[in-house]
Amino acid sequence: MRLRITAALLVSLGAFAQPYDLVLAGGHVIDPANGVNAVMDVAVSGGAIARIEKSIPPAQAKNHIDVSGLYLTPGLIDLHAHVFGYSGWLFPDDTALPAGTTTVVDAGGAGWRTFEDFKARIIDKSLTRVLSFLNIAGRGMLGAAVENNVEDMDPKATAAKIRQYPQLIVGIKTAHFSRLGWTAIDRAVEAGRLSDTPVIVDSGILTNSGRNSREKLLDRLRPGDLHTHAYNDRQLELIDRFTGQVHDYAREARRRGVLFDLGHGGGSFLWPVATRAMAQGFPPDTISTDLHSSSVMIPQSDMPNCISKLMALGMTLEDAVARSTVNPARAIRRFPELGTLGPTRVADIAVLALRDGVFAFKDAWGHKRLASQKLECVLTVRNGRVVYDQDGRSRPVWSSAGEYEVIR
Amino acid sequence: MISRRDWLAGLALAPAAPAIWAQAREPIYDLLLKNGLLIDPRNNRHGRFDVAVVGDKIARVAPNLPAARARRVVEAGDYYLTPGLIDLHTHFDAGGADLNLQPDHHALPSGVTTAVDAGSTGAGNFEAFRTRTMARSRTRLLAWLNIAANGLAGTAAKLDAAGCASMAKSHPAAVVGIIASAAETAERAIEAARSAGLPVMVERAPGDPVLARLEAGDIVTTAFGPKADVSDPARAAQKRGILFDTGSFWFRVAVPAVKQGFLPDIISTNINKESILLTRANMVTTLSKFLNIGLTIEQLIERSTVAPARAIRRPELGHLGEGSVADIALLEIEKGKFGFLDSGHTRLLGDRRIRCVLTVRAGRVVWDTEGLSLTDWSAAGPYSNFR
Repeated sequence: MRLRITAALLVSLGAFAQPYDLVLAGGHVIDPANGVNAVMDVAVSGGAIARIEKSIPPAQAKNHIDVSGLYLTPGLIDLHAHVFGYSGWLFPDDTALPAGTTTVVDAGGAGWRTFEDFKARIIDKSLTRVLSFLNIAGRGMLGAAVENNVEDMDPKATAAKIRQYPQLIVGIKTAHFSRLGWTAIDRAVEAGRLSDTPVIVDSGILTNSGRNSREKLLDRLRPGDLHTHAYNDRQLELIDRFTGQVHDYAREARRRGVLFDLGHGGGSFLWPVATRAMAQGFPPDTISTDLHSSSVMIPQSDMPNCISKLMALGMTLEDAVARSTVNPARAIRRFPELGTLGPTRVADIAVLALRDGVFAFKDAWGHKRLASQKLECVLTVRNGRVVYDQDGRSRPVWSSAGEYEVIR
Repeated sequence: MISRRDWLAGLALAPAAPAIWAQAREPIYDLLLKNGLLIDPRNNRHGRFDVAVVGDKIARVAPNLPAARARRVVEAGDYYLTPGLIDLHTHFDAGGADLNLQPDHHALPSGVTTAVDAGSTGAGNFEAFRTRTMARSRTRLLAWLNIAANGLAGTAAKLDAAGCASMAKSHPAAVVGIIASAAETAERAIEAARSAGLPVMVERAPGDPVLARLEAGDIVTTAFGPKADVSDPARAAQKRGILFDTGSFWFRVAVPAVKQGFLPDIISTNINKESILLTRANMVTTLSKFLNIGLTIEQLIERSTVAPARAIRRPELGHLGEGSVADIALLEIEKGKFGFLDSGHTRLLGDRRIRCVLTVRAGRVVWDTEGLSLTDWSAAGPYSNFR
C-alpha cells in the first residue's frame, strides 16, 4: 500500500516537475566502466549523470533530445594534446568539443616555470577540461634550446608544482631530447617518483644517442608510465624491421605495466606499423591525438577518426571507447572521477554517429587506406551543458520560436 | 626562356621533331583537377572543365587536358570546382582577443583560401597582428582595421580617425577597409574610411541612421541578425550599391527576407570561438544554411568568391582565370536529413549540406579529406618519410 502511494506520488511528480535538465533518449550507450552496451536513456541533472534507464518519460526533462540511431559514450579523454607552449598549439575548445573530447591533457607545453601562465591563459578560460603533463624542462616545450637544457630540468621544483595543483597536473612529460644519455628521462621519472604521478615519454631514441628502446621500456620507465607515439616506427621501433614482428621487449614492457599511447600527430600513425601491431594483438592502451597545427590538417586525426582508423584494423567500438575513456582516466589516475557514466559522475558525454560508406583515412605520412565505417561526433555535453550540437537537436525549429526571443 | 604556354603553342605549329617529343613526355602541369563541375561566376564559366595548375598559378582551364602530362591528377568528376572561397567576416587574430580562433584549420577545410579579420585590431595593435598571425598563416589573411585603436582586444575605445586611416594606408596589401564594431563608433569609422579611400564595414543596428551615410561599396555586416531591418530602407540601400553581408544571422530574419527577395550580397561567417561551437559557423555550414533557405549553388558561390573579392577591391581574387593564383575548392552537396543552428539558438531543417573535400592554396593541396590526391598505402612502396 505504502509502496503504491509512493509510486503514485512519484508518477504525479514526474508529470508536473522536470527533475532532469537534460535527457538524451534512445541512444546506444557504451559505458565500459559500468558494463553498459545497450540502448538506454541518459538523464543529466545539475551537471552530473542522474540516471541511466531503459526509458525515462520525456516529461521529466527540461530538454529532451532524441539521439536514437546514435552512440552515446562518456566524453572522450585525449591524453596527448597540445593547447599551450608548443609552437603548433591549438585552442582546446574548437578542436576538442566538436570531436566529443571533453578532457584534454596537454603534453608538456608548460613546465613548472610557465604553468601559471598556461593556467591563466588557457585552462581557466576553456570549456574543455584541460589538464597538464608538466614538462620536465622548466619552461616547457619551447624548442631545442629549452628542451635540451638539462640545467633547467628540476625534479623537485616540478614535483612541487604538481603538488600545488593536483587537480590540474596529472604527471610529467619529456620530449624532443636530443642530447646524449638518459638525463631528461631520468629527471622526469624522478619528478614522477617525488610527486607520485606517471611520466609520459616521447623521447627521440636515435641511433648513437646512448639510449635505446629496450632499456627505456624495461629499466627506466615504471609501471604506469606511458610511451607515446606507439605506432611511429622511428622512435620506438615497435616493429622489428627485419621480422615484421612486434619486439619482445615491447610485450615484456606491457606485461610490466608500461602503457603504450597512440599519440597520432603528424608523424606517428603509420599504416604499415599500425596494421602489423593490430594484427599481432598489440593495440594502444590509450587512444590519443597529439593534435597540433600540422596534424589537424590531416583530415582524419581527431579522436573519432583515430578510433575509426583502429576500427578499420579490427578494434571493436566498445574496445575503442574503453581505450578513449576508462583507460586514459586510469592512466592519469582520475578514474572513476572521469571516463564513466556512473551515477553522480560529471556529465561529460559524447554522442557519436557511426557512418557507413567508403571513407579514405590518411596516415601521418600521407597515404590513404579505404574503410567502410567512420565515427563522427554529432553532439557533446560538458558538465551537463550541450556545448556542441552539429544538427541542432537540442533546439527549437526557427519558425516556432518567438520573433525576437533569444533561446538559451 | 619561353613560357610553357608559348612552348605549347609552338609545339602545335612546329613539325614533330624528336627532341621536342622527348620533352613532350615531361610533365607540364604540377596539378590537374579533372572534369569538375566548374562554377566561376566572374569568368562566366560553368560546366565540366579541367583545371591545370603550374606552380602557384592557374595555367589552363579547358576540357580534356592530358592527364599524362600532370605530376598529380585529382579526379574531380563528382564535385563542384570553385575558386577558393573568401570569408569577409572572420575573427582570426589568434594572438589577440579571447574570442579569436586560429585561421588555418578553420578556413582551409572549409574551402576558404582568403579570410578577412573583422576588426580584431586597430591602429594601436595592428602591427602585432601582422607579425604574430598574418605572417604565419597559410590562409591569405587580410584585415578590416578597427576604428577603435585596440580593436576588439582593448577596453578603452580610443577613436582616432586620422591615425586609423594612416595605418590603413601604410598597409595596403593587408588592410581592406575600416570596421566599426559598435554602432557608436560608426561615424568615426566612416570618416577614417573616406580619408583612406577604402570601404567601411558596419554592424547593422535597428533603425540605424548610419545607413544613410554609407556609400556604394560600403558593407553592412550581420545584416540578418536580430531586429535587423530588411524592409524598405535596406532594399533602397542595397539598390544604391551598399553591400549586405551575412556574418552571423537569425533564421527568423533571413528566411523571410530571402523569401521576399532580399538576398545577401555576400555570405560570410563571423567565425569565432563561440560561433564555431554554437552555430558551426564555418563557411561550408554557412553556405549550407543559405542553400536550404533557397539560394542556388551558383548564387552561393558568387556571394562567396567574386562578390567579396570586389567588395575588398581585390579583383585578382575569387576567380579561376588563367594566370590567376591557384586557390581552389572542391565542394560536394550531400543529400540527407540535416539540421542547422543560428545565432538565435534556433534550428533549420534541411535536406542538403555542402562539404569541402579538397582545398588548393597557391597551387598546393592543403586539405584533402577523401584522399583524392593521395596514393593508397598498399601501393606506396617502402615507407619513407616523404610528403
